[in-house]
Amino acid sequence: MDRVTNSMASRSVLADIENVYAQLTATQNELSSGKQLTKPSDNPYGTSRALAYRADLAANKQYQSNASEMGAWLSTTDTALSSINSDLGRVRDLILQGANGTLSPTELASISTELGQLADSIKSDANTQYAGSYVFSGSLTGTQPFAVGGADTYAGDSTAISRQLGQGVTMQVNVTGDTVVSPILAAIRQAQADLAAGGTPGNLGTVDLNAIDAAQATLVGQQAIVGARTNRVTLATSRLQQLEQAQSQQLSNTEDADIAQAMIDFSQQSAVYQAALRAGATLIQPTLMDYLHS
Amino acid sequence: MSISTFTGLETALRGLMAQQQALDVTGQNITNASTPGYTRQRVTLATTPGLQIGPGLLLGTGVTVTGYQRMRDSFLDTQLRAQTMLQGSAQAAQDGLGQIEGVINEPSDSGLNSLLSQYWSAWQNVANSPQDMATRQALVEAATSLADGFNSVASQLSTIQAQTGQNVTLTLQQVNSSAQTLQSLNTAIANATAAGNTPNDLLDQRDLVLDDLAKLGNVSSVDNGNGTITVTFDGVTLADPTGAYTLSESGGTISNNMATPQTAAVSANAGTLGGLIALRDTTIPGYQTSLDGIAGALIAETNAVSVNGFGLDSVNNRPFFGGTDAATISVLATPTTIAASASAATLPGDNTNALAIAQLQNAGVASLAGATVDGAYAQLVTTIGSDSQAAQRRTSNAGVLVDSLSNRRDAISSVSLDEEMTNLVKYQRGYQAAARALSAMDDALNLLINRTGRVGL
Repeated sequence: MDRVTNSMASRSVLADIENVYAQLTATQNELSSGKQLTKPSDNPYGTSRALAYRADLAANKQYQSNASEMGAWLSTTDTALSSINSDLGRVRDLILQGANGTLSPTELASISTELGQLADSIKSDANTQYAGSYVFSGSLTGTQPFAVGGADTYAGDSTAISRQLGQGVTMQVNVTGDTVVSPILAAIRQAQADLAAGGTPGNLGTVDLNAIDAAQATLVGQQAIVGARTNRVTLATSRLQQLEQAQSQQLSNTEDADIAQAMIDFSQQSAVYQAALRAGATLIQPTLMDYLHS
Repeated sequence: MSISTFTGLETALRGLMAQQQALDVTGQNITNASTPGYTRQRVTLATTPGLQIGPGLLLGTGVTVTGYQRMRDSFLDTQLRAQTMLQGSAQAAQDGLGQIEGVINEPSDSGLNSLLSQYWSAWQNVANSPQDMATRQALVEAATSLADGFNSVASQLSTIQAQTGQNVTLTLQQVNSSAQTLQSLNTAIANATAAGNTPNDLLDQRDLVLDDLAKLGNVSSVDNGNGTITVTFDGVTLADPTGAYTLSESGGTISNNMATPQTAAVSANAGTLGGLIALRDTTIPGYQTSLDGIAGALIAETNAVSVNGFGLDSVNNRPFFGGTDAATISVLATPTTIAASASAATLPGDNTNALAIAQLQNAGVASLAGATVDGAYAQLVTTIGSDSQAAQRRTSNAGVLVDSLSNRRDAISSVSLDEEMTNLVKYQRGYQAAARALSAMDDALNLLINRTGRVGL
């Protein structure tokens, strides 16, 4: 039989107690921090997953913030377009009135004045801003697209502004004034000219009305596009929210401690630790000396 | 042939003396029960040559101490030292990697991973409102935090590397001072051996020095037969019968100062020294290269797009980041010069270029073997984590083996107080009995000397 010596007993007792205590400390750490991953070596594979989930989650939150920005921009655009559309209804009525051919020059002049006011109202709608940017100016967001009471020249450009809606997904958010507003203004100005001439009511009822109808068709078309984009943003937002939930769940599964499991481990390890201490104390203390009497 | 009257007295005396010496050795064992490196000793007793008192009659003459045996198994020493060496290298790696894990501080909300996410988000915010100075300022802040993060990790890695280098020097000093001790012990043991003694305590001391050295490197010793040993450390001679040598290290190669210096490459497994050198020359530079590659890719990719764009001041062809690696990365852009627009004509609302940079987050980079910047960083963290975990496992495995071998060695060499107590009782009783035998002889002689010839008195 092998000899068992005091130093061996002390070494084993100490090593065992240290072992159990290290486990106990680790579990305690897990419980107090609520994390099972506090450094990469705790679980290298889990850490790489956790880092990826964290990056995904941050990107997802950014996409949601982008989407909410885009939603607000689109809704501002849509409001302005609706307002322009209702003005157009009145423009159409006035032109039809002018085309009647029975009106006096004074009446024609007052129709023309109202058309001019409607043009200014349409311009002012086209000058709508979102967060300090003119939404119909293309990329020249600091420049007012139309001068109310001034010339009808479009001061913006036709650059499309896109935003990121998801990984690798971008979408145009803006509608430029030159496509939607300029044809309307041109039609109104033509009608005004025809009214002033007074003698060409035929043009009002045909060419001018057709021009207004064409401009309105373009406007409605753009409104439909804005509506479709709003839908895309809404859908993307709800998808991103679902994804965020899943990503948070996965991150939590990877990083967070299973508290119930940790509590059970803790009480088991605590019992083992106390048993090891008790056994160690009983084993190391006595020697034969305690029982020899001379 | 008759025997001497006093033969019995002599026999009892030898018994007394032998038991006395056995008691002394027991006392020595007990007092040294917790002395590091102490090897228990055992008295070897033998009968003294018998006395021929007639044909076929050989009278025993008692007992003598033939030696104090040092209970040691040198095979276990070799095994234990090999494991101690592995433990030393694993421990050095574990300590260094633990420090590095502290430096990278992942997963957390303040590590480079989070800073990268914040950087990419800041670009998207600029893409959302390129004309807004506040979002541009936020991007400069986020990019500066990221650059600071890279700088700080790079400089802390360099600090750990430098500290590891200092530890290599300190470890070598320890080895060199052990060489002096070995030399003086060699001399003392050789002198004692020449005088016919067995210097057990000196041998214990020399074994202890070798045990301690084994943690630092690959130690082997050859017995020269005259009491001296020749010790080699990591493949070069550290001490031999003619003297001790000073070791020095350069670029992972160790050499001594013999007339013709011996040199050898230090293996990563070779104890603390090997572990430290591997950390300094291989592990940390590897991480630095990876980190520099990631920072370099971020700089190059961002700048390549940045130079295409225009700042609010209508100027183009400006890089966003300065520097080339993790230690030198810095932010050159200011809120005004951030190149968010694709042309000067489309300022300030055009975000094409900002969007292109934001989308670099998901773009694989050729210099990172097709990984994204974020992905390559996660890989680096995983590598550090795996290395650290492996070092912890190696340390704990070697620890278990060292404990088990230490136990096997202790089973032979260390003092059991119970055993010594039993011996104490045994030898004390032996001494008492020898004294009793002496008394009996004395009584007999008393009868012979004082009472003989006094018949009738």
